[in-house]
Amino acid sequence: MQARLFARQPLLLWAFVLPGVVYVLAWRIVPALYTAFLSLHTYNLAYDAGPRWYGLANYVRLAGDAGLMSSLRVTLVFAASAVTAELMLGLGAALLFDRNLPGRHLWLGIFLIPMVLPPVAVATVWYVLLNPFVGPVPHLIRALGGPEILWLSGPGTALLSLIVADIWEWTPFMTLLLLASLQAIPRELVEAAMVDGAAGLRIFRHITVPHITGMTAVAVGLRFMDAFIELDKVLIMTGGGPGAATTFVSVRVFKTAFQFFTLGYAAAIVMVLLLVLALLYSAYLRAVRRASRLGTGLTEETA
Amino acid sequence: MSAARPLGPRATAAGVLVGIGLLMLWTLLPLLYLVVLSVKPEAMMLDPPSLRFAPTLERYVELLRWGTLGTPIWNSLVTAVAGTAGALLLGATAALGFALHGFRGRGTVFFVILLTRMFPPVTTLIPLYLIMRTLGLLDTRTGLIVLFAALQLPLVMWIVYASLGTIPREMLETTVLDGASLPVVAARVVFPLAAPGLVSAAILSFIFCWNDFLLPLVMTSTEARTGTVALMRYTETYKTVLWGPLSTVAIAMATPTILFVLGLRQYLVKGLTAGMLKG
Repeated sequence: MQARLFARQPLLLWAFVLPGVVYVLAWRIVPALYTAFLSLHTYNLAYDAGPRWYGLANYVRLAGDAGLMSSLRVTLVFAASAVTAELMLGLGAALLFDRNLPGRHLWLGIFLIPMVLPPVAVATVWYVLLNPFVGPVPHLIRALGGPEILWLSGPGTALLSLIVADIWEWTPFMTLLLLASLQAIPRELVEAAMVDGAAGLRIFRHITVPHITGMTAVAVGLRFMDAFIELDKVLIMTGGGPGAATTFVSVRVFKTAFQFFTLGYAAAIVMVLLLVLALLYSAYLRAVRRASRLGTGLTEETA
Repeated sequence: MSAARPLGPRATAAGVLVGIGLLMLWTLLPLLYLVVLSVKPEAMMLDPPSLRFAPTLERYVELLRWGTLGTPIWNSLVTAVAGTAGALLLGATAALGFALHGFRGRGTVFFVILLTRMFPPVTTLIPLYLIMRTLGLLDTRTGLIVLFAALQLPLVMWIVYASLGTIPREMLETTVLDGASLPVVAARVVFPLAAPGLVSAAILSFIFCWNDFLLPLVMTSTEARTGTVALMRYTETYKTVLWGPLSTVAIAMATPTILFVLGLRQYLVKGLTAGMLKG
């Protein structure tokens, strides 16, 4: 059928496929390659006419860049803490939404709101909530006789505030994925276990956990890779500060390119970021594969 | 969503209800506070948080006149709709070509296209900026539309491709045997059957364009500035923050996404999960 359809109209096929493919090539793939090219050049947007060959000088500079190292570190702390908290809370919420309570479609819909909001709107929400002048959080602490905390301008609290905003935004994502896998657990399995006299916690450990391991790996992996390139909320809430306390890798790329205009060096940082992402992605694929194998193995055992 | 566990004994049921209640407060109170700020008179902004004031709708009225407050929102709307339309047009036709024809190397091409979703926008920001500058498209809505379409194209292609796989082969075969040409097959049979996929792709693409911040931040300054960039302009000021306009624009930017998630969640979730399983 396929052959017949297109044997008559070979040009038509290309008319369908080519525009899309060429468009992606031109706007996504060629620019990515140009970034690699640029990382071997020096190009200051403010006063250079064009990129000049620079060899590996950008990479040599990278290796000794303490700022970049601290960026990688603080990004890792942010991503690891946020995703851990999101997993815990997301699983808790998923277990609640797995119950057949009235109106659960509506409640779940409301709970998912933060995850579809523009990330800068999420950032605005928390910028306002934590602001010392109009924010209810500092006001509440003041009313209770607590200390005056400048949430977004203290080094530790700025990072903490970003983590809290991220938890608010992305816990629903964890819940959504975990809920899907909770609902895929065969009801008979749970009922059989209950007939055998198994109680809540044991059912959770021996039936629920093995069933959701694979999906948990997927959810954690996707969230972690996403948190690692966090940028939007930082620019609104802290601007990367105070000092460089919340200058995540993406923020550093952005500032190097569009505040200091050193495009070549920024491109080199991008290459490092891509390397980290590629490593994360391969670790993710391995974990997902292992987790799903583990999951099915245990399932067969319990079933 | 159908196979939920029963609520269980009364104590458990009470626990579940309290838990859900807490989740609702945690989600809604921050948003409601922003709504309160957006209708609070400017003179009372710095008073201690309270609900005792006569609400004003003047900022929303001003926003809908598409003046200083509304123009960025309008820009967001125009660029997100046009960018989505572009991505749908290019993406759906390409997906159809991929799905219908097993030409050699198809797998590789498709893989490379999906691979672009692995590198985040920040990694191609610099070349895109240089191209836009060369083409004189900086700070124009046209420039943003071109980039939005490019950014969402792989996702659209993937979702539509996945939903084309669910169409029965015989259905196509009969139509082709009737002597219909490819565009007719596409318009009469394929796309109507793949409509749920198309809707999913359109909604997701719109939300991603509407929510995007980084591209408009770099590519626009005053004329084509979007709602997301406007929010940053309010918060990065060294003068007093204009709390009223800030919260009004934030609520305006939040509203469409909230309507989508409450009204069309099935499409949204289906598209998200199809788009995620890309590995």
